[in-house]
Amino acid sequence: MTFNPGIDVPDELSRLSLGQDTPPRIRDAPELNSTGTIPVDITEKFKKASSALQPGEIVKDEFFTLFESVGALEIMDPKMDSGCVKAGDEFEELYDVSKPLLPEEVLGIIDQLLCHEMSWHLGYPLSQTVFTSVYVEALMMPNPTHIDEAMFVRRGNTQANAEPMLQVLRAYCLGMLKACAYVNERVKSEHYYEEEDFVTNTYNRTLLGSLSTADIRAELNSALNLVQKQQEHMGGDMVEALSSRLKLRDIFLSAAECPQFVAQPDLARQPWEAALMLLPTIKATHNLSKAVDESFSVKLQRKLASTVPPRPIVKLSFENAFGHLDRLFKDGCELINVLSYTNSQCLQTFLRHFQAKKPQPLVYVRTLLQTFLFDAMEMLGGMSIRMIMDDDLAIISLPASPYLDRANDDIEVLHDPRFIIAQQMEAFRKRAAEPFLDIFRTFCQNRCRVRRTLCHNIERWDQLQADAEQLDLELQVRAQEVKLAGQKFSPNTIPVEGDAWSLSMWTYLYKLRQMEWIVQLGFELEVYQPDELAGMYWYLSYLSKTRIEYVPRLRKTLTERVKELRESPAQNRRDPAMERQMLRTLEWIRLSLLDAVITWGLSEALAGLYTACSRLDLLTPPPRPYSNDELRYELRMKPFAKIETPGLPTFEQFAAHASQQDVSTEELLVEASKAMTDAKRACESMSKMTPEESFSVGSHDRWLVSIKNTLKSCIATGLAIATVQKAMREDTTGGQLKLTVEVPTPDKTYHECWIVPRIASKST
Amino acid sequence: METLVEPERVKALRGSLEYIQYQHSLEAKYLPAIRALISKDLSEPYSIYVYRYFLCQWAHLCFLVCAQLTSVSHHSTDTTFQALDPVDHSLIGVIICKLEIHAVHSTPTRRGYIAMLAVASPYRGHGVATALVKRAIQAMADRKADEIVLETEETNTPAMRLYERLGFLRSKKLHRYYLNGNSAYRLVLLLRSVDPDNCPDPNDGEIL
Repeated sequence: MTFNPGIDVPDELSRLSLGQDTPPRIRDAPELNSTGTIPVDITEKFKKASSALQPGEIVKDEFFTLFESVGALEIMDPKMDSGCVKAGDEFEELYDVSKPLLPEEVLGIIDQLLCHEMSWHLGYPLSQTVFTSVYVEALMMPNPTHIDEAMFVRRGNTQANAEPMLQVLRAYCLGMLKACAYVNERVKSEHYYEEEDFVTNTYNRTLLGSLSTADIRAELNSALNLVQKQQEHMGGDMVEALSSRLKLRDIFLSAAECPQFVAQPDLARQPWEAALMLLPTIKATHNLSKAVDESFSVKLQRKLASTVPPRPIVKLSFENAFGHLDRLFKDGCELINVLSYTNSQCLQTFLRHFQAKKPQPLVYVRTLLQTFLFDAMEMLGGMSIRMIMDDDLAIISLPASPYLDRANDDIEVLHDPRFIIAQQMEAFRKRAAEPFLDIFRTFCQNRCRVRRTLCHNIERWDQLQADAEQLDLELQVRAQEVKLAGQKFSPNTIPVEGDAWSLSMWTYLYKLRQMEWIVQLGFELEVYQPDELAGMYWYLSYLSKTRIEYVPRLRKTLTERVKELRESPAQNRRDPAMERQMLRTLEWIRLSLLDAVITWGLSEALAGLYTACSRLDLLTPPPRPYSNDELRYELRMKPFAKIETPGLPTFEQFAAHASQQDVSTEELLVEASKAMTDAKRACESMSKMTPEESFSVGSHDRWLVSIKNTLKSCIATGLAIATVQKAMREDTTGGQLKLTVEVPTPDKTYHECWIVPRIASKST
Repeated sequence: METLVEPERVKALRGSLEYIQYQHSLEAKYLPAIRALISKDLSEPYSIYVYRYFLCQWAHLCFLVCAQLTSVSHHSTDTTFQALDPVDHSLIGVIICKLEIHAVHSTPTRRGYIAMLAVASPYRGHGVATALVKRAIQAMADRKADEIVLETEETNTPAMRLYERLGFLRSKKLHRYYLNGNSAYRLVLLLRSVDPDNCPDPNDGEIL
């Protein structure tokens, strides 16, 4: 077997390729006649020195790393040297862009370009996709500074440009390249991983940077008129086919410009919806097209500012490419929902479920989402980060709290405790803003990166928790001072009494959730082997149980404050905003508890079921002669090892909990079944919640599907447990049970976080 | 086109397989064959410097496996052709590794890395690759490696099964890691518990 090695170069480096947007630097040879420089011929010395070496011996300094060796090319090897011309072949691509084309050929080239454009969206470089088109190259090089320069033929037979079919193709190409420029800028301005998510390298081409969008739109428009005039000549279907593609180009430009309407979601949504109306026509008319393969050439790579070896043209079928295009506009349409803000928890629900879609939205949509979220230090086009954070703090641990009261900001007396409270809250926001916003940004990354980034983020949340505990103590002191001094907070807040650990509770709950997500993404990404599942589901149940035990502390503080509200003067009690805030927090606590119960119950059930399967020899671990359980535990739990609370169980504790040696297999399955029932009931309660109660306004449908799939996972787990129990009851031999266990891949389960084993009786 | 070797022949071969620890003097004889074997499944070949980077510095962590030519029927018997062909047809498998101190984002460790592993297709499925990996693990363990890592394509189930049977775990998934757009898994075998208070000096650039 040959394994395709990626070679262990640090990620950042291995993804590097030369020729970003800066023009290549041309270094002149040193001036030989300058004073102080005396040229010496070293040929003989060099020959003599090198004769002391064996062929193949490496002479290098410490800075010649694996990265340099991977970047080296062998000149005259056609697989590595893009300038190497085979005997009898031409260096240049000789395709004639002035030759007349049939309508079906123009349609064919357009659809081939569409495939290339989507391949680029999927992560392949322009050099292997769009830039392999001879027509694209003709328009872009040399870089046109005016729309009239952007012609296929710039010298000689320029009257060929007037050929109607070439005009149509040109307009399409202009629209496409401008859209590519928008997409490239969007991706580059947000957080993404070069060559992993996307390749922004334009190899020193500007993607029509000097031409205005308005000029290109005008060209698209006149091409559209031209096509419609050809009705008799080429037939209605062909007119429709070409028109719909030209219109799509125009709409694509509008869609790319939609962030200007970030405060008017209806306007922002328009182009996405318009594109969805057009797409069926494009799909239906593809069969009229005739591909022109010879108008695409790998040889064009030779002209690009790049040091990478020649790479083949990416082949993506039209059917496939169209699927991605359709998905791009559907996802874009759905994305606009994020602009209708309800509260910070609904926003997070939207984000999590939108990004958990399979397949995940394309990187362009993911970066557009980031623009909506964070552009110009404003969230969703008009909210400050403070507004979102305070909203979140108010939902989770500080409803109607004087700590979040903006009136505190107006106090100017330096020793006034309310002034100090305002300062302390600002200090907390400053420290928490980055980890908090990172949750949003992290979910915009590809799934592999989400997990890897969360592993780093939790360490920062762990540190934040220590800060938050300190600030909580200080806030308690100041709140007491306000009371003792007979001062008052605004009447629309209810003071927090006693040991309210509001900030640290908020921090801890976020940290716990992220730890749970890391484990759950491990299931989704197939990081765990089948015999690890029992242990990992046990650890997930441990984390969610910590959350279950913690949430009531929130409720206790809240109940005390509700009591206070009821006992406070009547005019306060009637403040509906305050009541609403309290009610919202109670709803959130209920949701959070149910969610934790589901995670705990189902993970506990699956941990038990997998442990039983391993005891019954239905799942056998690999031999692993070079490893042991303790070392693998150390490796597996590395992301959690540094976290202070909840501390990582020692290997002995983990082994004892995960194996449950003191519990019989029968009992284990009974307990698993009970835990599953708890999870199932919680699912049923949750599925009846309104969008408001479930904090899923704007993404309720997706949220509900996820809950229902979890419910199906509960039912499937219950059936699997029952199958094992039945086989155990019916077994009289005491030998191997006649069962087969199959551990499905996540795409074959009801929910990718819940890997429910398929257990069946062995057919005899 | 793959030439299939009947099981009996492979069985007979097993006795005559020879495992060789690489050394620089073998370059002229085996490097063309090593490159041919590894490039076969690569879309883009590695330059000769990549091979020399590993083979010259960590020859002691690289192993070859050769079969006696006489027992293999599918190779050309035309001696003139063989004289011109620089590729040594007795080579049926190779493993190439390195061992260095790794200190990016974490506690420094002595990290072994399996860079390349290949077995000629007619000889697959008979434990040749496993035998090569075992030799490499042993050689790295003898040099006090804390861990051994590698990447493998998500679709390469036989490779993952091979490594996981030996004790490797998947530590992370790497999105679109390969040029062909496929993702990879990082596989890790922890050989010794990593003690943050007693780790190697990250600035020590010695070849291990």
